[in-house]
Amino acid sequence: MNAGAALTMYVMGATMVLAFVLAVVPLPASLRRLPEFTGIAGIVATLAITVAQWGERQVAFYGELRIDRFGLLMTWIIMLSALATIALAWGEPAAAGRRPEFTGLVLAAATGMMLTVMSGDLITLFIGIELLSVSLYILCAIEVTRERSLESGLKYLITGSIGTALLIYGFALLYGVAGTTSLAGIADRLATVDGLASQPLLVAAIALIVVALGFKASAVPFHMWTPDVYQGAPTPVTAFMGTGTKAAAMGAFLLVFTGATQQASGDWRVLIGAMAVITMVVGNVGALMQQNVKRMLAWSSIAQAGYLLIGVAVGTEVGAAALIYYLFAYVAMTLAAFGIVVLREREVEDGDRLAAFIGYGRARPWAGVVMTLALLSLAGFPPLAGFVGKFLLFGSAVDAGMSWLAIVAAVASAISVVYYLRVVIVMWSPAPEDQRPERRLQVPRSVAGVATVGAVAVIGLAIWAQPLIELCTDAARALMIP
Amino acid sequence: MPWVSILILVPLVASVVLMLLPATERRLARAVALVASFLTLAVSIVVLSLFDDQATVLSQVDHLDWIPAAGVSWDVGVDGISIWLVMLTTVIFTLGIIAACQHLPRERASVFLGLIMMAQAGLLGLFTAGDLILFYVFWEFMLIPFALLIWNWGGGERRSAGMIFVVYTMVGSLLMLVSIVATGVLAADQSGSLTFLMRDLMAQGAQLGETTSTILLAGFLIAFAIKIPLWPFHGWLPRVYSQAPIVVTILLAAVMSKAGVYGLLRIGVPLFPEGIGNLIIPVAILALVGIIYGSLLAWRAPTMRLLVGYSSLAHLGFIVLGIIVIDRMAAQGAVLQMINHGIVVAAAFVIVMILARGTGTEDMDRLGGLAKGAPKLAVAFLFVTMAALALPGSNAFVGEFFILGGVFDQYAWMAVIAMLGVIYAAVYMLRMYQSTMNGPVRGVQDEGRAAEMRGRDAIILVPLILMMLWIAIWPASIVNTSRSSTDWALVPAQVAEDRPTADMPAREVRP
Repeated sequence: MNAGAALTMYVMGATMVLAFVLAVVPLPASLRRLPEFTGIAGIVATLAITVAQWGERQVAFYGELRIDRFGLLMTWIIMLSALATIALAWGEPAAAGRRPEFTGLVLAAATGMMLTVMSGDLITLFIGIELLSVSLYILCAIEVTRERSLESGLKYLITGSIGTALLIYGFALLYGVAGTTSLAGIADRLATVDGLASQPLLVAAIALIVVALGFKASAVPFHMWTPDVYQGAPTPVTAFMGTGTKAAAMGAFLLVFTGATQQASGDWRVLIGAMAVITMVVGNVGALMQQNVKRMLAWSSIAQAGYLLIGVAVGTEVGAAALIYYLFAYVAMTLAAFGIVVLREREVEDGDRLAAFIGYGRARPWAGVVMTLALLSLAGFPPLAGFVGKFLLFGSAVDAGMSWLAIVAAVASAISVVYYLRVVIVMWSPAPEDQRPERRLQVPRSVAGVATVGAVAVIGLAIWAQPLIELCTDAARALMIP
Repeated sequence: MPWVSILILVPLVASVVLMLLPATERRLARAVALVASFLTLAVSIVVLSLFDDQATVLSQVDHLDWIPAAGVSWDVGVDGISIWLVMLTTVIFTLGIIAACQHLPRERASVFLGLIMMAQAGLLGLFTAGDLILFYVFWEFMLIPFALLIWNWGGGERRSAGMIFVVYTMVGSLLMLVSIVATGVLAADQSGSLTFLMRDLMAQGAQLGETTSTILLAGFLIAFAIKIPLWPFHGWLPRVYSQAPIVVTILLAAVMSKAGVYGLLRIGVPLFPEGIGNLIIPVAILALVGIIYGSLLAWRAPTMRLLVGYSSLAHLGFIVLGIIVIDRMAAQGAVLQMINHGIVVAAAFVIVMILARGTGTEDMDRLGGLAKGAPKLAVAFLFVTMAALALPGSNAFVGEFFILGGVFDQYAWMAVIAMLGVIYAAVYMLRMYQSTMNGPVRGVQDEGRAAEMRGRDAIILVPLILMMLWIAIWPASIVNTSRSSTDWALVPAQVAEDRPTADMPAREVRP
């Protein structure tokens, strides 16, 4: 056993505990930011360790944890979105109603996500997903004085619990088929024992797991909670759910399907493909009529889950690599978009309404450019990262003989152009005459920083796509090793 | 020197500079835009002067790997077809920038000019791209500046016009992206290496099979048909042409409309020879319907702008017909006609612009007898009218004659139907001329002297007329340079269709 391999877990766990402790200890005013700084330090340390650990797979806790290129690269996505979440929430005026345990909970959720993508066993996978879910239930409801926030947390709790129940049921059935909870063991059993694939029990297990992870990834038809929860939750938390949770859920999909049950891919390829198709269609159509930018981004995140699922449905290494690349692009563009929404919310009451964005690009050209880049990338316009990601996903679908996925994705993307560009148009049109009083704030530097880095990454990841694609291919290769 | 890359980068850099200028610096913005557009024109002349007449595939290629893992690269160059479209782009955009500078919009003029330059960069990239993905990138890239120009500076219904423009185009282009990806991946299955370079794909000559080839080509064709536009995909055209600022309408009709036909000739026909056979008749029928339908609509169009817009639909139908029948002569006519149409339609819209400014209306029925007060404009207008209806001796006559001759060789009935379009062209173009220039003076004071062509209008109109004269007198200058590339693009399809090919080795690739 190699306990050192799990160093990131120790670091994140310790940081999380420290952040919680600091949250309850009465601190002098000069140190009130200490939990946040602790969290940032812990995340930076984790990122540094993952760089150092980059290489062949190491296992810890008797195979419960697998530290390989896949887990490490996914950890990067997760940690970057956790970092961005802390930055987006920095010094928020609405934080009067917010509890000091915010940072600790973000770290707990991030630890759960990391555990999910590094898991080598169904049990650790489940614990990881539970840890991230429970932390997020609380995070959604953390503005205890705001009714919508509480409603959001409660809704997420109820639907999330159903997902959890289905997940553990599916895992139990999978254990029943394979006789082991180890991902490597399951892959091994499927490869060596004849006639295991297409067994009713296995199909049932797969169906339950697809549904459960579909809940977490907000795939249709298990997406109903998403718009309400995204809209009600504090915007930094929404950004975290849109990026970190999505990455963890996709990581779980890849580990269970592309990784462990590769041999039974005939049982799930069409199932997940069908889910991707309806997710893309419903998500994009649902986003069309939204008058609230946060809600629109919630529907768009459903649609984006559909594109991402293509990478799972094809069940190949190429698909996994395309998915991981798209996750990076998706995190960059989503954080940039949410950064601007956070900014606007701090300036005006109900700043997440579409009407609040009228003429915003003219008032703040920098914010307008960032938001425009983010939305164009989400819509898949070249030469931005979202385009490269879609291109890779389309390629993986054609490569796997599932061109119909690419065609549906193309049509769905064309629909998405309408609602993404609507925001762009609104932002650059002249401001209305009856300008309501605004809280003209100094742009918070942390929020501006997140949005700008996101927008720069949207361009940078496309122009220098090659190095990242190589990393993603390495990660996908590691995933395919049972 | 990587002249072709410089050609794309000059307007791109200029557009960024322009958009960063403060809104108050109108004079500076004007100077930057004018200098940059003339610089681009100069670079394009350098590229033309270095061009080798006999080039079949892209020459003066600048190649740089972009995403090798996905077979994508920055690969630009010119061949006999693209070189003339590049020249058309730089000339028309230079004139367009001059026209825009004469009447700068009141608000945010620097951004207006910047977006025009950005659109130019996109179009130049499109016409020079040697990589399918790069082609797609530029195809989409130019959409944003055009859409923003319509949204911010267009007419009363600019919002819906811009949105319709974007959504129409995106539906087609995303299906094209799927086709592009599929073409690369399927070819890689046979050759073992993933590439999107057009010349490599052609050289490999992957045997896609008739069905696959037809489906892939159909994906491209939808995108091309919407952009051209081919009937019945022209729904965006009347709204966009009538709502866009007139300078933008000039650029759209003269240059952007060539993107689709260029794609058809440079990508559709050479890359999918096995599939083209199934699509000759359907596409030709759409083109024929477009010729008739566009002509009839142009005949009854209420405004001059719509008339010229619908006439575009008919003229582009001719070009599509010239390409799709797979005939050397027709294809050469199509290339020539792309340039002719670009020049003529630009001149026609410039006249509409002058008339609208002088009289305050684009409505033909409210005007009349302007020739009395504006004789110089009337002369220019008559000249453009003659060119637009392809009077023998005009530049468009040569092009249409080539197309009709080639079509007649392959499918005589098509030529007979298309001939109607030539007749209708006389009807609607003369209607426009007569109702505005002849008859009793109407709708204006002072016999329409306000509409007379001035020096600043002549700067734009005279170069266009000179180019028409040049092509009318010496069409060989274009035909001879583009012949090798056109022939080469047709050879695979001619082989697949068992037709005689031009005297050149099939699938020849010159580095």
